[in-house]
Amino acid sequence: MKDAIAAEWLKFRTLRSNLYLLISALIAVGLSAGVAFLVTRGFDAQQGADLRRFDSLGDGLGTGLPFAHLVMGALGALSITTEYGTGHINTSLTAVPARRTFLLAKIPVLVAVSLVAGQVLVFGMYAATMAVLGTRADTVLLDGETLGASLSEPGVLAGLLITGASMPLVALMGLGLGTAIRSTAGTLVALMVVLLILPVAAQTLPRPLGYQIGAHLIGALPGQMAADGLLGPIAAGALLAAYTVAALAAAAAAIALRGHRLRPLLAGSAATILLVAAAPVSAAATPDSTLTWKPCDNMLCSQIRVPVDWAEPRGRTITLPLAMLPHTGRRHRIGVLFSIPGGPGGSGVQDLERHAGSFAQIRDRFDVVSLLPRNGIELGILDQDCLGTGPWITPPDDEREWAALARSNRAAAERCRAADPELFGHLDSASFARDIDAIRSAMGERQFTFMATSYGGVPGLAYARLFPSRIRAMYLDGAVNTLRDRSEDDRARYALMEAQFTRFSEWCANDSACALHGRDVGTVWNELRSAADRSPVPAEKGVAYSGFDLTVAAMPHLVAPGDDNARWKELAQAIRRAEKGDATGFSDYVKAGTLGSPKPPSIVGMNMTHCLDGIGYRDYAEYRRLRALGDRIAPHLSGNELWHPLGCVGWPEPVRTPTAPLPVDQLPPFVGAGTWTDYADTADLALRVPGSGTIRFEGHGHGLYHTGDPCTIAYANRYFTDLRVPPGNTVCREGA
Amino acid sequence: MIEVNDLTVRYGDATAVDELTFVAKAGQVTGFLGPNGAGKSTTMRAVLGLEAPHAGTALVAGRPYASLRRPLLTLGALLDAGAVHGGRTARAHVACVARSNGIGLARVEEVIDRVGLTSVAHRRIARFSLGMKQRLGIAVALLGDPEALMFDEPVNGLDPEGVRWIRELMRALAAEGRAVLVSSHLMAEMAVTADHVVVVGRGRLIADTAMADLAERYRRDVLVHAADPAALAMVLQANGGVVRAEDGLAVTGLEARRIGELALAHGIALYELTPREASLEEAFMELTDDSREYVAR
Repeated sequence: MKDAIAAEWLKFRTLRSNLYLLISALIAVGLSAGVAFLVTRGFDAQQGADLRRFDSLGDGLGTGLPFAHLVMGALGALSITTEYGTGHINTSLTAVPARRTFLLAKIPVLVAVSLVAGQVLVFGMYAATMAVLGTRADTVLLDGETLGASLSEPGVLAGLLITGASMPLVALMGLGLGTAIRSTAGTLVALMVVLLILPVAAQTLPRPLGYQIGAHLIGALPGQMAADGLLGPIAAGALLAAYTVAALAAAAAAIALRGHRLRPLLAGSAATILLVAAAPVSAAATPDSTLTWKPCDNMLCSQIRVPVDWAEPRGRTITLPLAMLPHTGRRHRIGVLFSIPGGPGGSGVQDLERHAGSFAQIRDRFDVVSLLPRNGIELGILDQDCLGTGPWITPPDDEREWAALARSNRAAAERCRAADPELFGHLDSASFARDIDAIRSAMGERQFTFMATSYGGVPGLAYARLFPSRIRAMYLDGAVNTLRDRSEDDRARYALMEAQFTRFSEWCANDSACALHGRDVGTVWNELRSAADRSPVPAEKGVAYSGFDLTVAAMPHLVAPGDDNARWKELAQAIRRAEKGDATGFSDYVKAGTLGSPKPPSIVGMNMTHCLDGIGYRDYAEYRRLRALGDRIAPHLSGNELWHPLGCVGWPEPVRTPTAPLPVDQLPPFVGAGTWTDYADTADLALRVPGSGTIRFEGHGHGLYHTGDPCTIAYANRYFTDLRVPPGNTVCREGA
Repeated sequence: MIEVNDLTVRYGDATAVDELTFVAKAGQVTGFLGPNGAGKSTTMRAVLGLEAPHAGTALVAGRPYASLRRPLLTLGALLDAGAVHGGRTARAHVACVARSNGIGLARVEEVIDRVGLTSVAHRRIARFSLGMKQRLGIAVALLGDPEALMFDEPVNGLDPEGVRWIRELMRALAAEGRAVLVSSHLMAEMAVTADHVVVVGRGRLIADTAMADLAERYRRDVLVHAADPAALAMVLQANGGVVRAEDGLAVTGLEARRIGELALAHGIALYELTPREASLEEAFMELTDDSREYVAR
């Protein structure tokens, strides 16, 4: 055997064509660099958000690898087909009559040469790609990957090494095919079909079948061995080995003398079957779900039955609708991304339907699931119109007014509560969190990956307290922060809102489209508020706006100026008219945004959760203290933070989900994202968990992922996919 | 020594070699004769283990070739001079084969020198003539200094100089005590080199005999035309000749010279006196007439 191997090495060395073939493999490096160059051309021609829409080049092997594999396959094939072609095979078999020895002797030579050449090629392709991409390589794309790949990233170096190590296997496949086919041309055509044409053909198949088949092809396997692909690393490795073993078994059978072919054929088949059988076993099985999903409006829909009162799991139940944007099948499915809707009372089903485009990339990795929660206004058990309305609130100046507010709040609550008092008493965020865990359990998932938007943060935190080990990841987007001490919270909130008021003022100073352009907006606004507090500004018949009413009514517009600052323009106009004694500028848009209420109502549908979550004041004294704090620290928006807590004065149900610290040592790192008016709240929340990161969005808005900010989605998807937290000081901007 | 015992090789329904038995002994050149398609090459391939026999055995030095650890040290063979990769130099080609049997580079140079290719050993084989490739193939066959050698139609396509060189080489190899098996479809070729011939047709053994015996079987005669053939016939028979009347007299048992002297002594005029040799070629044709597969009629 030693002599035979030495002879094969000599045979390999003494053919100059082998050297030329290896040199031609460098074309693969050129291909990778060329494609990277084309991508940079396109990349540089784009800007802003469109940069995130590029497909990742990853380690840059995608384009060069098929060619490199082809050359290695050809190297293996030619080592035997030229023997058949020239008749040299007879000379060889005369010198080494043990045919299997002759065939096996080629293997170490091919392996050694293609391993060295493969690693050189792979690192060449990688280095060329990264050199061409330059700093663009670090751009985080929509699917959470970077345009290039840094060697310091987990899995990249291993991926390169494994891919380099796949070259010998492909060379052996070439040897096997060549021995079975014997003709050089025939073998090269077969290799081209397998390595170049099949992957392209697979892409034309309907999805997800095309993805499935594509993942089983030779070129796709090394990458899946290094990172999560559709096949697991072991399955991908087993399959690659199976291809090699099958090809070599065919070769051993083909080269054997007539009458001696059965043994290699049987042994080869057995080994191949074993390896292929190992593949599905090692691939992650999709969990058993007890839910039945049916198509509905481009999604899948289902429902789950949960107890009204989780303290009595065998008691009465309600049925909650579920929706899923299913996994596309393109990449390995990681699990379920559960979107916790905000509100409170918002519909997660509607979120998925409306913002399906925002989830387009992450669906390659996850089933995206959400629900219409138990406190969902549209659930229909409690009257929707009743939940959409509520009393008008005036901050009480004394305990008598406090008691009056309690009476009117309770009356509004009782009106809606009557339809289902039991449910009305269990609309807290902890019950919501238990509903989510029921869904997780029904779907057979060990953990959920979470996205909590706005008030969804509160059930998100409740879940984190109840089921910390069930959280794979938690992305908080503009999430409400209930973890701070009340006065600390008010300080932070007022600071955020005052900063926003300053932006509004500056806009007014710089834009003649502002009705208050040329005047000091802060002064105008405060004088208006004072005047309204002395003598409320009339809107329609029987309705007049106090300074507090104006503040509360201004907030939605102040926070979200909208396209072309349309709502800021509307707000400035409304202020201008109110100065002149007409508050209809405010009441008109408040009516449009509510169920026709001319003043902002304290909506029962929100309070029914707020109050159970402990949003309300402990007592009158606490209220007075915080009201005084606001008057002291918020020059333009004092009183605003009183709004939600005051809605809970006199609430007929007790607090069920009081705020409490997070079990931070049991939680994975979180990621928080927020706009100008959200960032501080969400970041404070997320950063309580060690190792967490944040995304600061320099701009207006609320709910960055849902509304489709490409930069935020890119970083969030990176976190969802690989649990990689954004680096410190990660900033996103409008259209960037 | 190469021994073939009851060897049968089939391709599908066609029987290429049919219960063939013969021995190529050490120290002599054994001619392996037969028309094209008689199974000579198949037999040789079976000896080398390139074909799997359906029955029978082919042994080299008493063992199947494929069981030899370094087979080139026992049997050297040249089956097809073209079975080389044109991309290698002559030296590299020989070295590759040598390496597989643990034969050193000094021996490589030695055999290249023996076949006279030293001056072109650095050239790529693709540029070699057929004659040069034959020599290269012989160099490979000689590599292991084997006790037995096998050549399949070695003089095909060679110029007269090359033909003579190969004849002499084979004689020399046999003289060194080696067993040499040479196939040919030309009896005349064998007549000048072989000590022993094995004749096959359609895969079957037709004759296995010493070259001398075969020649003897096809003796010579002398064709005589005379003025009085009847008288001459009586004279020649009286002197020990055997006379057969053809167009003239075909005489065996007497040399032409003696016939001439007897005719002169008896005063019979001779018009023609031609010694005739029955060519081995004719003998071969006669032997294998039944077994040739393709005959033009």
